Amino acid sequence: MDLALRKLGLTKQDVDLGYGLIPLDPDKGSYGMRVTPEAAAKLAAEGHDFEGPWSDPRIEPFGPPR
Amino acid sequence: MRVLIQLRPSPDLVAAVADPTMVATTSDVSDGLPGVVLDHSFTPVAVPRPVPASPSGDPLSLNQPLVYSMAPDDASVVLRGEVSDDEVNIRMSLLPGRRDVVAVYADPVIETSLTCGGNPPVGDWHDVERLLRVSELLAEGLDGSGVTLAVTDTGINAAHVARRLGRGMTIDQDRSWTPSGVAGSPGEFAVDHGSMCAFDALIAAPQASLIDIPVLLSERPGGSALDGLLSDAVAAFAHLRTVLDAQPAATRSLVVTNSWGSFSPRWDFAPGHPGNYSDNPAHPFNLIVGSLAEAGADLLFAAGNCGRDCPDGRCAYPDRPISGANSHPKVLSVGGVDITGERVGYSSQGPGRLTERKPDICAYTHFAGSRAFGEESPDSGTSAACPVAAGLVAAIRTQWPAARLSPGQLRTLLRRSADDRGELGYDYDYGYGIVDVAGIIGALRSRADRAA
Repeated sequence: MDLALRKLGLTKQDVDLGYGLIPLDPDKGSYGMRVTPEAAAKLAAEGHDFEGPWSDPRIEPFGPPR
Repeated sequence: MRVLIQLRPSPDLVAAVADPTMVATTSDVSDGLPGVVLDHSFTPVAVPRPVPASPSGDPLSLNQPLVYSMAPDDASVVLRGEVSDDEVNIRMSLLPGRRDVVAVYADPVIETSLTCGGNPPVGDWHDVERLLRVSELLAEGLDGSGVTLAVTDTGINAAHVARRLGRGMTIDQDRSWTPSGVAGSPGEFAVDHGSMCAFDALIAAPQASLIDIPVLLSERPGGSALDGLLSDAVAAFAHLRTVLDAQPAATRSLVVTNSWGSFSPRWDFAPGHPGNYSDNPAHPFNLIVGSLAEAGADLLFAAGNCGRDCPDGRCAYPDRPISGANSHPKVLSVGGVDITGERVGYSSQGPGRLTERKPDICAYTHFAGSRAFGEESPDSGTSAACPVAAGLVAAIRTQWPAARLSPGQLRTLLRRSADDRGELGYDYDYGYGIVDVAGIIGALRSRADRAA
């Protein structure tokens, strides 16, 4: 996580540390993290080597039908 | 499209069809019609001609006193057939007037009222056990022994599930996983949706070992008690990848049942936005789903409860409600039928957003089972259908690990062996049909014989 923060120019306040750094596709060295909307905007503006931001929609159980 | 074809053949033939002591067949009435696949299982029916009761009546009007004549010169005969969907208009216009055809009519599906949310249970889990031919699965040695089945949901209450099943069950504590900030231990969560899913998965795979992943319990500001964020599912699937990779390649198997999804586009970027989830195969969750399936996991997702007949009140997609990973090409998207084999009215219909042909298959739901929601409440939603199908997959995996039958091959097996319902062949209500254990067992035996 520290390495990812340094690489992206983010602080610990910009990310969800409890969520951590998640390996998305270990074969391709792809990782994900949960960041604040402000951090996402900053990353996009500074053109860092990353993809996203991606939506993080709410998910709910499919039952019982209401 | 199914059609009824009205013909006026020779009076002798009409008389034969109308005579209850004689048996006339479709072949007797017609030796074929261009562009129509005649249904030879349908017995031709004689239809009377409405004739004005008064000799001065209008022969073209039905709005007058009529008598219905079955005289051979008056009556006609109806056959049943099917016309290709992309030729309906041309066949409907060209057929009348040819080969005794009087007219062609639509033959719509007529249904009893479908089971909807709020309806009482239709049958119980022993009916599901019977329909899934669990005794035959057990006789084949397909009971889920040694198979890991992950339930990504609201957490499992193992004591409740075991009590309702009337037998023991196994929670794999070491390989279970809990999102950050969620209190509780695997198998000891409050009785809720996740316990229903666990119960339903164990109907066909009583010896499977369950991994408890309470992904819908993650806590965050503004969230309700029973929802989560897709990022929690991303983390859960990353954990499941480590579970899978730790297994020996020769015996690897991991079944994951997912009875959840997104009801609304409100929390998503719009389709076309690069960060969108619902329609975007490049979204990280859709990527990790593909990667996990490629690595050997069987992933099943509920199709959702947004069927047009009686959708869940939360459904907010204007169309194509099977979205995101629930419509992923490498998962089985599971719709719901009751134990009579009828689609439940809330089961989401295709096409899907990532893949058109969704749902893939249907499994049973809306039966008295876990009683996770009270004594009188059924196990319902495509939420129940999904783990029912996942249990069947886990049973198959007992002797057919991914090295012997890849997840893609298994998906194909389930689709090809399914009991076709609705329209002939694939349709967006039932997919390829209802899971059919007799067909599956037969196909596995053939495969084993070929390999021997």
